[in-house]
Amino acid sequence: MRNRLFITAMLAPTVILLLLFYGYPILANLRMSFTDLSLLGMKRGGSWVGLANYREFFRSGGFGHILFNTLVWLTATSVIIRLILGLGIAVLLNTRALKQLRMAALGRFALLIPWATPPIVAVVIWRFLLERNGAVNAALIWLGIVDQPVAFFADMRTVWPSIVVIMLWNTVPLIALSLLSSLQTVPHEYYEAAELDGATHWQKFRFVTLPFLMPSLLVLGLMSVFWSFNNFVYVWLATGAGPGTFTNVLATEVYLKAFIDFRLGYSSAIGMVMATVMGAFGILYLRLVARQQLEDTL
Amino acid sequence: MTARVASGSRHWRDPSPLGLAACAALAIVTLFVLVYPAIYVLIGSFRPNGGLLSAASTLTLRNYIQIFQSGFGRFIFNSLVICVTATLASTILSIMAAYVFSRFDFPLKRSFFIGILFGQVFPWIVLINPLFVAFAAMHLINSYVGMILTYTAFTIPFSIYMLVGYLVTVPKSLDEAAIVDGASRWQVMWFIICPVMLPGFVATATYAFLLCWTEFLFALAFLTQTNLKTLTLGLYQFFGEDNVDWGAVMAASVVTTLPVFLLFLPIQGRISPGRTAGAVK
Repeated sequence: MRNRLFITAMLAPTVILLLLFYGYPILANLRMSFTDLSLLGMKRGGSWVGLANYREFFRSGGFGHILFNTLVWLTATSVIIRLILGLGIAVLLNTRALKQLRMAALGRFALLIPWATPPIVAVVIWRFLLERNGAVNAALIWLGIVDQPVAFFADMRTVWPSIVVIMLWNTVPLIALSLLSSLQTVPHEYYEAAELDGATHWQKFRFVTLPFLMPSLLVLGLMSVFWSFNNFVYVWLATGAGPGTFTNVLATEVYLKAFIDFRLGYSSAIGMVMATVMGAFGILYLRLVARQQLEDTL
Repeated sequence: MTARVASGSRHWRDPSPLGLAACAALAIVTLFVLVYPAIYVLIGSFRPNGGLLSAASTLTLRNYIQIFQSGFGRFIFNSLVICVTATLASTILSIMAAYVFSRFDFPLKRSFFIGILFGQVFPWIVLINPLFVAFAAMHLINSYVGMILTYTAFTIPFSIYMLVGYLVTVPKSLDEAAIVDGASRWQVMWFIICPVMLPGFVATATYAFLLCWTEFLFALAFLTQTNLKTLTLGLYQFFGEDNVDWGAVMAASVVTTLPVFLLFLPIQGRISPGRTAGAVK
């Protein structure tokens, strides 16, 4: 009985706060998405417009473009390259060669620098490096790859790769460090057995290392999907969704519609679309990650 | 030791000079890409206009003087007030909840916990509109209180998850012994368990602080008055416009990042990267 009181008292503040900041907003957002509420007329409130906001968004010219940007560039491209590079760096730092050269510890330390850099600063750094007169252009011209400086964030051919590079620099270290700690738990006997069977380096990687890392890769990949899909800061700070609306994604569209166009109702409808897509991933998250985290923790 | 015994096998044979050179070359390129951009900006912050236009290699503190003259100190103060308070509140609430999760069974415990885990992966941008409307009605836009409440709520899921992980490693017999000696649960939690897990708690609180310190989206939406803006908004103000003063931006970036490095390096060994994967926004 005393315990029950204690449990309730300890959990109550957290539960109330989370209901106010997650539970209530989700329901309020759903209700707002059926109105024409404006940021300038919040006191007056909005009128009920049914599904008009959703219809408008799905029929708007930007819809397919925004969805493509979000799913293909912001999420798929960045997550796949992130996992490959993270795996590559982890394997490299785990090689005997680097340990012999005493570079493994140095590499581990170097990974901490981009990992600890705040996203807004990562964007600053790369916008500076990719400036017209910046270091990257200087290097490209010196190497004779281009004649004229490239306007990385204004040119439609280079703007998405540039954003992805910023994301990768900032986030690959987390993947690499995580995989590195998994790699160090692979039992040596596995490699020795593979060698007795005459396995090549590639076969050892393919049939020993990779299967061993699969569970970590899956979790990291899925978390990266959430993290990239939901992300607002990289696109917003690198390009402000530009040039024009060329790099607009769902997160920036929600912000633009609410705080630049003042259309809160319409923006909330886009937010609901976003939450629905995430909900689909959420089932995967529940089955593959959350259960595991629950078992590991409780 | 078994490694030596098996030294005849290929995995343990010393790498060939060619392999050694290839690995070293790859590693040097990787190190360069990881470290050089940060160092470049650090040096740029001591040069006129970030060293972009002038080839002059003169080093100067002008950029730093300039940003503090244009009010950067105020942004630092705002960030400190908001982040320190939010971190304290969120850590205290999280310790209370995490203790209960690690010590008791109660109805819906697993569902609660999964709900908290979901909080880590939910798109925050979707919560902005309704929170903005509610905050506007309660005069919490452009207020410390609004930002503190927001940051407290949004660091709690991560903190609880981390703390439960630490607390389950503390044997329950420790609690029971203290209770037999007449301590209350509340006393056990703060005076017996907390000291044991202090390093883990400090690491969790530090990470929560860093999440607030580097947060941009909520600050952008909920703070519009210049005198209330946080550090990240102050930095954004310097480089959001068309004509960027790179010198000032670099200096502001260094001032923003330096505390992050100083706080992050000592705790990074305790923060498993996998656990924080969902907490980076």
